[in-house]
Amino acid sequence: MKNKVYDVAIIGAGIVGAMCAFYLSKYKLNVAVLEAGIDVASGTTRANSAIVHAGYDAAEGSLKAKLNVKGSLMVEPIAKQLGVHYQRCGSLVIGYSENDLEHLNRLLVRGKKNGVKGLEIIDENRLHEMEPNVSKNAKYALYAPSAGIVCPYDLAYATCENACTNGVEFFFEYKVDKIEKKGQTFMLYAGERLISSKYVVNCAGLYADEIAALIFESLPFKIIPRRGEYMLLDKSEAGVVKHTIFVTPSEKGKGILVSPTVDGNIIVGPNANVVESKADTGVTIEGLQEIAQGARTMVPEINLDSVITTFAGVRSTPTSGDFYIQASKKYPKFIHSAGIESPGLASSPAIAEYIIELLKKAGLKLKEKDSYIKTRTKNGNCKLFYDMTEEERKKAIQRDPAYAKMVCRCEMVTEGDIINAINRPIPAHTVDMVKRRTRAGMGRCQGGYCRARVAEIIARELNISVEEVKKFSSNSHILCGRTK
Amino acid sequence: MDKRLVIIGSGPAGLVCALNALKGDVRAEDILIIEREEELGGTLNLCIHTGFGKGNKTGTELATQLADKVKSSGINYLVNTTVISFDKNKEITVVSPQIGYEKIKAEAIVLATGCRERSRGGLSIGGTRPSGVMSAGTAQRFVNLEGYLPGKRTIVVGSTDLAVVIARRLTLEGGNVLCVCDRRSKPQVDKADISECLDFFNIPLKLRTTVTRLFGKERLEAVELADLDKNGKTIRSTRRILECDSLIYSCGFIPENEVAFSAGVEMKRATRGPVTSRKLETNIEGVFSCGNARYIHSDVVDVMTDGKKAGKFVADYLRDLAKKKRTQGEQV
Repeated sequence: MKNKVYDVAIIGAGIVGAMCAFYLSKYKLNVAVLEAGIDVASGTTRANSAIVHAGYDAAEGSLKAKLNVKGSLMVEPIAKQLGVHYQRCGSLVIGYSENDLEHLNRLLVRGKKNGVKGLEIIDENRLHEMEPNVSKNAKYALYAPSAGIVCPYDLAYATCENACTNGVEFFFEYKVDKIEKKGQTFMLYAGERLISSKYVVNCAGLYADEIAALIFESLPFKIIPRRGEYMLLDKSEAGVVKHTIFVTPSEKGKGILVSPTVDGNIIVGPNANVVESKADTGVTIEGLQEIAQGARTMVPEINLDSVITTFAGVRSTPTSGDFYIQASKKYPKFIHSAGIESPGLASSPAIAEYIIELLKKAGLKLKEKDSYIKTRTKNGNCKLFYDMTEEERKKAIQRDPAYAKMVCRCEMVTEGDIINAINRPIPAHTVDMVKRRTRAGMGRCQGGYCRARVAEIIARELNISVEEVKKFSSNSHILCGRTK
Repeated sequence: MDKRLVIIGSGPAGLVCALNALKGDVRAEDILIIEREEELGGTLNLCIHTGFGKGNKTGTELATQLADKVKSSGINYLVNTTVISFDKNKEITVVSPQIGYEKIKAEAIVLATGCRERSRGGLSIGGTRPSGVMSAGTAQRFVNLEGYLPGKRTIVVGSTDLAVVIARRLTLEGGNVLCVCDRRSKPQVDKADISECLDFFNIPLKLRTTVTRLFGKERLEAVELADLDKNGKTIRSTRRILECDSLIYSCGFIPENEVAFSAGVEMKRATRGPVTSRKLETNIEGVFSCGNARYIHSDVVDVMTDGKKAGKFVADYLRDLAKKKRTQGEQV
């Protein structure tokens, strides 16, 4: 490994790093992805609103506006190609007053200038026809039919798995802590480990400023960690809203939303509170009350007794207000992508394209590979039993009877799905890694039924004891020894 | 594979239902019980403690007794087999590693799918999301079936029967239960259970107390406890931190009705079980529901009584159906 010099090293396997790996894997290049966490999508990508924003929010002329509108149209074809759930459900920004209407009109004008298609202001009759459960106090709405929803971590898994299948190498728990420049090469250290590369892309999300500091550079803005808390409702509540519902935004941000998810749940959140630590993904009771209140104002009938889990994510808000995607002032072959807050998910494919343009400008030669695999693995897209047709289910069971053994009843996840997740291009080896790849434990009992079973399957497949199975990271063991 | 009567689930409700249908003149060879686990008996198989049925049996003993009766009566059963859906024509889709992907047509179906633990979503606990936090049912499986301890210093949240039983079991197995707490002002089980499971082992029961926050990035390291006032609001001055490595919650149960949903069985919002007639029939003709799948019962005796009723009603239904068919046949 020491002698190998990669063409491009991507720091961070969040959605932006994942998209970079996905696009770069089409070319004859040696690419490495260095991720500090144990898995793809360990940071902001793991916990956010999962919305593919249409692009009327960002200020005209900003990089955000440009990349959001472009990127949001790229998500669907990628999702189709890689078997990721995506739904163009449309969004509604609701307004209660004349003041709000004025603001909605401004968004409409801005959206049109940004190039968002199909935007219109609708009146209360049409709004309540489309969304009968939205508050009767809402008088207007900005309707954006092109807005969508997607599973953010699955989009990251899918693109990384495809990249891995096409030869990109992944290094986990690789926290870059020192960078040296030797001749034309960047030496990227993580403790004792070293990876060398000719080009580097900094997609370290919340930590992008810290990576920049390793080459003694400071970004021209600060990254403020802002935590957003969420509640996820049981699938029994599906249909309470059919579009992503926002309130008219304020200075504080886009505010609380109520939206369907691609998996059939309802998501409520987020608030936006500045936190001291970038890793502070804890939830607070006050925060949950705040988003519950917000949701009830928008959708009075919403059943918040059906919350199945609560969680929080931290986003990297740049004080400059815009994405920052530029080559380092010192090293043209070192590209920073920083301050990627909302709508980062929607923008991510366009951000990656933009980064690749910068790499080209810096001298990277792109030659297409002769054989490029379009799916997640050589054998297709790892379809889950739940998503299969009847014929596919029959075939899967014929091939492997483990597909006939139900492990998670809430989400209909079979042992075959779990074994597959453990053996995929980027293998799952903890309970949470299996959960995010298969949805085992994400249903209404939140793993009450299947968690022990999943741990047993992981232990069996990896030939370790159940005691050694972790929830997510190396010190998150689930058990504490044998019984008496 | 066609059967007159298919019973989904082989917990106490399903097994008693099958036995009583037999008494109601449904022939053993016309009955099929489908069970997703390796053995008949349902959740009883996890209950190694006593207090079940006549003669103070353990859950596993009661399960074995009922299962033996069913087996010796010649009733058909499939284990390791999951029903993934059925339709209005009572065509059932099952999967099993042994038989693969199959369709089974029934004249009547009894949903005896039991219940599942409620998630802790409703508890509204702040803080981190470390390992060492699990439901009482998961803990029960690790301890009773696998022989592993989920923690050495444990807080139990909730005072259901499952909560107090797991608190006692952990203590017996070498764990240390710091306390059992509940938001309520009264425990969810009776005095005898509290004295038997908690008092006898010096496990403190803290009522009107709840866990408000978790600490620990990877594994649970401590929790914050707080007392609640009469309105259920936390009293800030009572907040204190308790070091522990595990939290086991029991937030009650919800009827398990995924299979029922698949066929469009109408549900009651209050119970989260199917709307049933006096004869335990759902909105779909010939589809019955009983036991904890119908609503959460307070104990296994009640569950068995419900199963027994369902067995009688479904036998009546099949008898009437046969009569109807005969007269129709004569008319043709």
